[in-house]
Amino acid sequence: MIKFLAAYRPLIDLFLLQSGYALSQYIVLRAGVFSIASAGLAAIGAYVAALLTMRLGLSPILSIPIGAVAGLASALLISWPLARLRGVYQAIATLAFVQIVLSLNLYAEAVTGGAMGLNGIPSLVGTWTLLPVLIGVGYVVTAVNANKLGRAFEAMRQDEAVAASLGVSVTLNQSIAFGLSGAIAGLYGGLEAFHSYALEPNQFGFAFVVATLSYVVFGGRRSVLGPIIGTAVLVALPELARPLAENRTLAYGVLLMLVINFMPRGIVDSLLEYVHRRRMARP
Amino acid sequence: MWEAFDVGLPDQAAGRAMIAQQLLNGLVSGGVYALFALGFTLVFGLHGILNLAHGGVLMAGAFIAYYTVQAGLPLALGLVLAIIGGGLLSVLLEFTAFRRLRRSGEVEFGAIISSIGANLVLVTIAQRISHTQVMRFPFGTFPIVIYQFLGVRVSALQLFMAACSLVLVVILTFCLYRTGAGRQIRAVASNERAAVLVGTNPNAVYFQTFFLSGALAGAAGVLVGLAFNSIHFMMGEPYLLRGFVVIILGGLGSVPGAMLGSLLFGMIQTLTIAYLPSGLTDAIIYSILFLILLVRPNGLLGKPAAGVMRGRR
Repeated sequence: MIKFLAAYRPLIDLFLLQSGYALSQYIVLRAGVFSIASAGLAAIGAYVAALLTMRLGLSPILSIPIGAVAGLASALLISWPLARLRGVYQAIATLAFVQIVLSLNLYAEAVTGGAMGLNGIPSLVGTWTLLPVLIGVGYVVTAVNANKLGRAFEAMRQDEAVAASLGVSVTLNQSIAFGLSGAIAGLYGGLEAFHSYALEPNQFGFAFVVATLSYVVFGGRRSVLGPIIGTAVLVALPELARPLAENRTLAYGVLLMLVINFMPRGIVDSLLEYVHRRRMARP
Repeated sequence: MWEAFDVGLPDQAAGRAMIAQQLLNGLVSGGVYALFALGFTLVFGLHGILNLAHGGVLMAGAFIAYYTVQAGLPLALGLVLAIIGGGLLSVLLEFTAFRRLRRSGEVEFGAIISSIGANLVLVTIAQRISHTQVMRFPFGTFPIVIYQFLGVRVSALQLFMAACSLVLVVILTFCLYRTGAGRQIRAVASNERAAVLVGTNPNAVYFQTFFLSGALAGAAGVLVGLAFNSIHFMMGEPYLLRGFVVIILGGLGSVPGAMLGSLLFGMIQTLTIAYLPSGLTDAIIYSILFLILLVRPNGLLGKPAAGVMRGRR
């Protein structure tokens, strides 16, 4: 066990970090908000946390939560104009937000280090910090799901008009979903900053958006386990496929296509549905 | 601009010529965006399928043209082959990546993953073929001729690009709005079940839209390859991102909207590059997009219902 941990430590850390981002993406999709702003919000959280510690000498115990608050605040700020948009238009507007954060990050060289990014951030976050944080965040998300808020999200996702007619305030709940997503993204941005020594703007770009979105859709968009399992599979896959050497990305691509074609709701949701149907069919 | 100074125009006129030059450059690159974005909006707007492998098709078009020219054949043949090849590749994508998903009714999100996978496959194959190198058309593939009128310089390549874009867009519009096949496409787009009831074959319609969309992307790939004279396996990616911007700017599923969006985008891009600090180009472009969406939540020419996700569950 110890040996396994030592050998696969980077992979496990990567999984723990990416699951957090996946949960941030999950919570908005759950509420029927097609936002992909997590990348930009994570960038804000990461830079705020890293800069506070590097420039002002603040302890990471303070600066990481401040990063999360920065993510929350920016998410609430953009949720206000985004309330007017729906569906793909929301997705593209949030993509625009991600790009704006990215290019401002590149432009404000004096503060953020530009394309070179920030280097020499103290590395203080390890597996034993990431694990409890993920459990905590997972618990919060599960609690939200089991709550009145979760039912409101579910109603909004299924049909916004019906949700509104049942007395669910769509704008308010969308803002809450945005805020939660932003807080989680900001938190994990800060954790990543103190985990990997360095930050650079492009790590929170389009590739980040595609990755987090695929974790959630691949794993399943309904249950909390979906994004976690999706992340685990997609993070581990390149490693498992190592013997294929050059054909690794090829295999990864083909596998993505196959799995989503045969399990269109994602791994977890499709399996749960299958189990459910089996149970219902039994006399 | 230099010519303007040579003939001794006053400063103001020179400035005006510069703006005219930038607008022209913007229009030409906007035309190429239009080719790419039209195919994208066709599939996205009509069928609700977000085809993230569309950039891969653009790249494949450029590759096909490059290898045709390498084999000693004329560029015109390369362009035709790229158009046909791009179309066929796109149809193949429909078969492998989307057909099953469409039936499951989860195509909205599933297509994202499926096409990411397909794009990875395309990019990896291209990387293998090109040995991860940037390739260039041999010198003189396209004659370098520059015309000049009213202080504005136009290269033969730019004229060719504009003409190509114009012709292909006209053909597409004709196909969509003036033929029986186009009527069927639009019928399936507005209501697939009703269209089937009155006797259209939806699979044939998907075949046609994907072929058209891929053919346009293939052509765009050749033009992009010629314009920047650099062909590599990652060249589709930036266009994908801009394609999003353009189709949303114009309004989802609206062909005139996508054209307007492309031309606007091309011009805004060249103007910001020419007149504003270079690091801020993207920030400005995307802020403009953000602002336009706030004022017109469905894009410039979009219809109100277009952005609502269909069959959300």
